[in-house]
Amino acid sequence: MKNKFYNIIIAYFIISLLLALTSHCYIVNNVASEDYSLYYFSLLLFFVLISPIFIIYILNLNNKKNKDSLESLEKTNDELYKSNERYDIVAKATSDTIWDWDIKTGGFIWNKGIQGVFGYKKEEIGTDLQWWFEKIHPEDSLKMSVKLYSFIEQKTEKWQDYYRFMCADGSYRYVFDRGFLVMDENRNVIRMIGAIQDITKQKEEEQRLKLLETVITQTKDSVIITESTDVENEMPKIVFVNPAFTKMTGYKPKEVIGKSALVFMNKFSVRKEIKKLAEALKKKEEFIFEALNKRKNKEEYWANISMIPITNKENHHSHWISIQRDISVEKERETEREHLISELTQNNKDLKQFSYITSHNLRAPLSNLTGLLNLVEDIPIENEELNEIIKGFSKSTAQLNETINDLVNVIIIKDSPSIQKEDIVIRDVFENVFNQLSFLISLKKPIIKMDLHETQVINLNKAYIESILLNLMTNSLRYLEPKRQLKIWISSKKTATETQLTFKDNGIGIDLVRNGDKIFGLYQRFHDYPDSKGLGLYLVKSQVESMGGKINVESQVGVGTTFTITFKNN
Amino acid sequence: MMYNKILFVDDDPITLMLCKKVIERAEFSKEIVTANNGEDAIKYFDNLKSKINSDDTLTLPELMFLDLNMPVMGGWEFLDIFSKENYHMVFPNLKVIVLSSTIDPKDIEKSKSYSMVIDFLSKPITKEILKSIIKT
Repeated sequence: MKNKFYNIIIAYFIISLLLALTSHCYIVNNVASEDYSLYYFSLLLFFVLISPIFIIYILNLNNKKNKDSLESLEKTNDELYKSNERYDIVAKATSDTIWDWDIKTGGFIWNKGIQGVFGYKKEEIGTDLQWWFEKIHPEDSLKMSVKLYSFIEQKTEKWQDYYRFMCADGSYRYVFDRGFLVMDENRNVIRMIGAIQDITKQKEEEQRLKLLETVITQTKDSVIITESTDVENEMPKIVFVNPAFTKMTGYKPKEVIGKSALVFMNKFSVRKEIKKLAEALKKKEEFIFEALNKRKNKEEYWANISMIPITNKENHHSHWISIQRDISVEKERETEREHLISELTQNNKDLKQFSYITSHNLRAPLSNLTGLLNLVEDIPIENEELNEIIKGFSKSTAQLNETINDLVNVIIIKDSPSIQKEDIVIRDVFENVFNQLSFLISLKKPIIKMDLHETQVINLNKAYIESILLNLMTNSLRYLEPKRQLKIWISSKKTATETQLTFKDNGIGIDLVRNGDKIFGLYQRFHDYPDSKGLGLYLVKSQVESMGGKINVESQVGVGTTFTITFKNN
Repeated sequence: MMYNKILFVDDDPITLMLCKKVIERAEFSKEIVTANNGEDAIKYFDNLKSKINSDDTLTLPELMFLDLNMPVMGGWEFLDIFSKENYHMVFPNLKVIVLSSTIDPKDIEKSKSYSMVIDFLSKPITKEILKSIIKT
């Protein structure tokens, strides 16, 4: 534009100079000297007139040019602004982080994404390539830079890469970076512009899925995925099986995919469950069952199968996941256990029968013996020695009778899990007990203190509680400390939940340190007394427990013994 | 004397001897008949049945003590036959007391299912027991 003006001005100068010279020559040669001034004046006037016109023309021309260029500039500016605005909008909309790298100067500009996505403050953001590279995870940076430089070298149009980018807090986010090169008309690289997309969530989800997939591929339980079917009485078709399935059944995926799951199910074994299974399939409900399945080699195995319905995004039932566990070993154990239990039950039954027969066979001759001795008692015997012998007979027979009766009681208690209970007046029971022991009581003359005001009536089995108290009372009377007066304290206590009977004496006591664990055991005798059978406390405990109670003992040698019997209130 | 005639069924001769003596001493019955097992007892009743219409002087047993465990035919089998074959129609006044050494509670329950059984006693039989029977 300027050149054109110069050309015009130069042309104007040359033309003016030529004109001036020609006019001058013409005037010198052809014009009389008196006319010189007139001619020069005319010439001067001509230049004076022509020059402003020319200048105005030039100015006008220039003005027009300026205006045009201003307009075009404004237009460009406007377009640029709009384009920038669009760029910003796009950047905002994509939530990508945009970077602009001036390869010639090395300048590096980030858009606001670097703050929003990665948490950097404005002042922290670097303005060179180095800053970008520093933020790339060390494990990724080498591979990434090699790829990037070879791309710039080859001047391919588009570049993309995955790497981890550091946030302001030092953590890394997975990013997907895409860029393109800007080149001049000579295909020299001048800029590169890129967009970083944060794909951490996708990446994490991917890793989570990978992990979940590992579960399916690594688990020892076989996993079968079947399609959902709406056709009645049709078994769902298999779409996936995991390696454990192949290991468990011997079937390779291609052998079963597309087939019904009944291929390896023994229909007979699920017959019991088939109705429920069909129902669950129809209702799309989770179902757990056991089935005897067949391996490819026809071998059978027990499996615990749980079928879980899976819904798709639209909440429509799409698949079933069946997880199968080989429970053959457990099943075998279960069978063994059942077998063992039935064997034990039979043994128990036999033993029970045996004890009844034994007791019967013992009791039969013993009862004869007792009866015969009863008869003898009525016959007067003159011979003193014979009398002595018969007394010995009687005593031994009575003891044997007592022992067998106790044993019989134990058998009966152990054989009857539930017993009848009734409301019993405790004082009446004690009166009965005292009556039965009247001989021993008159002999040992104990002081008996009874305090039953808290509980007078108790709901128990009458025969049992009588036997319990009889046993405890007999023990107290038998094992008294000969040096002091025998005292027996009997009391009752009632709380909101329990009723307690306490039976305390000042007898010889039991060494609980030595005998604590076997005091209620069978055939345990703690004193060297001839008539002790070692059965009483075992019987007491059995009777207390069969009525749902507990018995406790506290004792000190030479001081006395306290038995506490606790029953839960009904 | 409480009873005119009682029948005692037991396989054990000592038990029989013992019971006889107790009954005699207690003057419980004028006459005591014994049988060694259920089959013997059935034969005894068959014999009575054949004479019952011809012999007017015949005394029928009023009470019977029955053991349970006996060879050849036990107490239960005897009771089954006796009730199934309508012996009790011929001997309607006969009462049975089961006398056993058993302790099995099931036996006691079972004895209650026979209408002619009035009691279940544990051996040995004593004067006191006989007295209690008189009372009932």
